[in-house]
Amino acid sequence: MNVPALPIFGIDIVAFSISLATAFALFLAVSLTLNIEAGYTGIPNFGKVMFVAGGAALAGSVSGRLATLILAINTNGDYNTHIAQIITKINTGLSNNPILSIELLLTGVALAAGIGGGLGLLASYPAIRLREDYLGMLLLASAQLFQIFLGGYQPFIGGTQGIEVPDVFQWAEIGTGVRDVAVLGVLAIFVVLVYIYAERMARSPLGRTLRAVRDNEHAARALGKNDVAIRRNVIVIASAICGMAGALITFWVSSVGPDTWTRVTWTFWPWVIVILGGAANNAGVALGALVFTFIMEIIGQVKFSLQSYIPFDVNWLYYLVFAAMLLVTLALRPGGILPEKSSTTLPRYSVAKIMQPWPVSGWDKVQPVSRPASAESTVKPQSDSHHDSG
Amino acid sequence: MLDPYVTSSVIYASLFGLMALGLTLTYITTKVPNFAYGSFVAVGIYTSFVLYRLNGLSPYESAPIAFGLGSVTALAMYLGVLRVLARRGSSLVSLMIATIAIDIAFTGVLGIYSDYLTSHYGIVDSKFFFQLRDDFNLFGLPGVFFIAPSILAIITVVLYVFLTETKFGVALRASVENPNLAKVLGINVEVVYVFAWSLAGGFAAMSGSFYDLWLPGGTAAGSNLIVEIFAASVLGGLGSIYGAVLGGVIVGATEILVTGGLIDLVGSWVSIYQKGVPLAVMVVTLLVMPQGLVSVHWRKLSSRIRHVSIRSLEAKLVRILRRES
Repeated sequence: MNVPALPIFGIDIVAFSISLATAFALFLAVSLTLNIEAGYTGIPNFGKVMFVAGGAALAGSVSGRLATLILAINTNGDYNTHIAQIITKINTGLSNNPILSIELLLTGVALAAGIGGGLGLLASYPAIRLREDYLGMLLLASAQLFQIFLGGYQPFIGGTQGIEVPDVFQWAEIGTGVRDVAVLGVLAIFVVLVYIYAERMARSPLGRTLRAVRDNEHAARALGKNDVAIRRNVIVIASAICGMAGALITFWVSSVGPDTWTRVTWTFWPWVIVILGGAANNAGVALGALVFTFIMEIIGQVKFSLQSYIPFDVNWLYYLVFAAMLLVTLALRPGGILPEKSSTTLPRYSVAKIMQPWPVSGWDKVQPVSRPASAESTVKPQSDSHHDSG
Repeated sequence: MLDPYVTSSVIYASLFGLMALGLTLTYITTKVPNFAYGSFVAVGIYTSFVLYRLNGLSPYESAPIAFGLGSVTALAMYLGVLRVLARRGSSLVSLMIATIAIDIAFTGVLGIYSDYLTSHYGIVDSKFFFQLRDDFNLFGLPGVFFIAPSILAIITVVLYVFLTETKFGVALRASVENPNLAKVLGINVEVVYVFAWSLAGGFAAMSGSFYDLWLPGGTAAGSNLIVEIFAASVLGGLGSIYGAVLGGVIVGATEILVTGGLIDLVGSWVSIYQKGVPLAVMVVTLLVMPQGLVSVHWRKLSSRIRHVSIRSLEAKLVRILRRES
């Protein structure tokens, strides 16, 4: 059973689509959480990579050790030094045991969610009461330190070398390309759930509270909203989802090392996606993720044929292309491709139903005061220009 | 012969003092944390590296060239990107992410340049290189041990005199305190900001060229410095130039001394947590005195401490005397 190849102009369209969809799902999931933080709540999370990497590293580190316990494999005392033989044994054990594989996958994802949320709480705590610039600085600095820690601390994920991770999709190795489809299926379920969650959150009264905290925290506080607790909770939830995404990346590539997790890959690219697609608009973020991953995959396809004409590593082109794209978007279309809209609330008839007076004697003669269906108070965040020269 | 930790901490302290000074200059003018600041340092690191490898210039000779290049880079960023965005009414978060974008673009340009150095000049270690062994020795100590603190001291004194005694310096302070009022008084705020940014870029690149003499450099060196530079600025209060110098000195010295002390105490494995020290400084600053060192009323604090200690001593004395009787 193989996934068929369909070459057009020398590019296998099926394989290309699968790889595009995988990257799209992963970047969309992380970008949606960034959108909840930065787009809706106005938290400048410049340390996104820490939460993704935290989940990835923990899932990668623990799932293998867990598998040795379950499958009763002798680690000879040290797991990381004998990793190659141990992983081979684990994978043989997992290849005919899909149930155990999925259990390992889910355990890893759950642990990753925990560490993501925990790291979010820890990293944001000192700065959450302060202004957004302090918060941005602290998150960026923490993420940088975490990255150095991942590369330097041997017992966790083997330092700079990284470690292999049990292949929990081993059961799908029944033909070329089938494993990729299985991974994509899991990722698709994950990203659809994250999207539904993000969209429901945005449309609910909570979503409007988040916007109120973003646009005017003093007014939100005056209305009884605890802006500090709201920001903290948003960071914790978003970081937990990021941790899960990180765990899924680890299981997809079945290895984890510190080099994958840089400020560019999992902090800056999600920011590019959110700004390009449209902050505080989940559909816009999805569009942004599609544009971004499409350009990325296209460059990845032509990379090898391009390499002979260019005297430098083509990978640097990503940096220049996407940095320029972000700056141009900020200058020419600050709202992104699909800018923020007033959130759609409940339909008019259900609001009218809610507005019906209670059938209490005497009170049913009182006419209900008609109000507009959606009391929107979303103000574009244009007002707080910090630079008033010119 | 001095303890190597002391030598290292003096050099670190002066380098970070200089870097934090520059970062604060960019912050007080535009009120945006400049995440691309590490790239200005990287410009200096690469200027010195290339001039040393290709022309044999020592980093001391190339420091003025680095200063110029850093100034030009900072100006290009300020005039080409930040001012354009600010005039279009970008929010603070947008401006911050724009500085990160510039940092990423710089990383790309430096990467391309280092590939070019490898392919064209055969410099194989252009992505990661060890410290340049081109320093002189004085009393058995490296030259940068004397030069870096002296440069920092000279710059701080000159800046102090400039900001308090010259008309342009006073104009700079006025533009920082209240740009609108400064404009009313006929100060060209734009010229002042451009000047501040060119100085900031220059200081960063100059510290980058001294950095080469003591520490290994590479494409990632600038980005990795962000932790220390921001910790220093936050400790100094983000708004004060002298606070930044002090913060940089404290962060640089504690980073080396604390890590060194811990290495002697518990073993060399702690060295990977070296950058945890500046982060801890930053966290403690944010928790205890979010407005930084300059916000603390030292006289009030010291008098309170003195007061409390005298009172507790009195109480102790009274207790002892009672027990005696």
